[in-house]
Amino acid sequence: MSAEVELTRTQRALDWFTPAIALARIAWLRTILYLFVILDMHAFVRDTRLKGEHPGLYQPLFLARLFDLPKPSVANTTTLYVVLIVACLVASTNRLPRLAGWIVAPAFTWWVLIGMSDGKVDHDHLALVVALWVLPTVAPRTQGWKWRREISPYADQTTSEAAGWAIRCVQISVIATYFLSAIAKLRGSGWTLAWPSSAILTWAIVRRPHPVGEWLLHHPWMLHVMQWVGIIGELLSPVVLWLMGRWQLLGALFFIGFHVANTAILLIHFLPTVVCWLAFAPLERIVPWFRKRWSSGSSDRADSAAGSGSDPGEAEHQAEEARQAKEQAGA
Amino acid sequence: MCNGGVTSIRLGRVGKAVRVFVALAGIGLLINGSVHATDDAWPFGPMSQYAGAVADDASITYTRISAQTDAGTTVDVPLNIEGAGVARAEIEARTGEIVADPSLLQAVADGWARKHPDQPKYVKLELIRDTTTLVKGRVEGPPRPEVLATWQVR
Repeated sequence: MSAEVELTRTQRALDWFTPAIALARIAWLRTILYLFVILDMHAFVRDTRLKGEHPGLYQPLFLARLFDLPKPSVANTTTLYVVLIVACLVASTNRLPRLAGWIVAPAFTWWVLIGMSDGKVDHDHLALVVALWVLPTVAPRTQGWKWRREISPYADQTTSEAAGWAIRCVQISVIATYFLSAIAKLRGSGWTLAWPSSAILTWAIVRRPHPVGEWLLHHPWMLHVMQWVGIIGELLSPVVLWLMGRWQLLGALFFIGFHVANTAILLIHFLPTVVCWLAFAPLERIVPWFRKRWSSGSSDRADSAAGSGSDPGEAEHQAEEARQAKEQAGA
Repeated sequence: MCNGGVTSIRLGRVGKAVRVFVALAGIGLLINGSVHATDDAWPFGPMSQYAGAVADDASITYTRISAQTDAGTTVDVPLNIEGAGVARAEIEARTGEIVADPSLLQAVADGWARKHPDQPKYVKLELIRDTTTLVKGRVEGPPRPEVLATWQVR
């Protein structure tokens, strides 16, 4: 008996990694994230091609040494750039998403590896890189390149455990970015809790001066409050993985607020992590929501003409949506 | 499998086992990186940006390059890709080399001139380290500048 209970518990723990989530969420994430990669290459990790021109400061990171990746040159960084742009554009349309996705994942990883090979490593790309590696593992329902598709991938409510696993991996990586930051802060002060009451933000502002930060320098207690809120939030971040519905939204808004504050004080935006918060959002409901609005807009006029209330199909539709929402909430 | 009109695609035993294993291995690598590794292990290294504790009496240094232009003005060189084509982190990492060989600053002047041909040229560059010393965790007074290297642009 207890062995059986144990077994179902293990089963449930394993199932947590593969919730059934609608394929539409994957389709939305593909479009958003592959387009984001193009933005990223021009706005954030944008010095990769420059490093190809001046490889003098190149210090290859572990992964680059492990796979014996060639030193950046004008030829290979330009090729990388063109391949990434083309593959991202194709993948963002949800056409040939696996083929294009398997090209983007290693190519962008290499792009970022080069970008961070000058002695300075940023920590805002974990979730995005993980997302690019897991998205191609999800098979779309339409195979190959068909221009007219029976069902739009953005509306596809077919739930899939493979999709759920990919989503879960992105969610875990987003949360890991915060939780592991707290671990690094404990480690950085010799495994003590010295960080939140230290002068770290004062140090950061003095080194990245700008008006909001400089005003805060006169009020060190506010900086200490922020440090405590930050590290406690980071330590508690894994809770967000198990929150549902509105509570999860609140959790997400807390961390997005955290980034807004960081941007205001230090001009550090972490957008590559922020965009991956969308893995928590029920994007699969976008199309049904618009369809419902559109159809209720037209049926409202019919209703007022007939002088009747809501139609019976509506209630059933809502019940079905609520059921789906319940199944997918938190997933 | 089909329920309530919504199709559901499930994973096979192997597909599921492999995925759970990969997820757990990834989490393991991340935790290991945070506890033991350095930035070298990216993306599995520690999230160490701003993770150090700074003492209440710490000296905070800030390295910048000040330029005299042919228009007779003195400006701080914008140390980023759009500015002089070199990042502050790179200058800070190579301060020792620049002090030993100030001619390395020529690249900064060249970078600026190439990217901003219509702006005043740099005629003299100074590598300056500003030191702010904290008193009980507060910034007291302006930073103390110290010229580390000077270069007459060619």
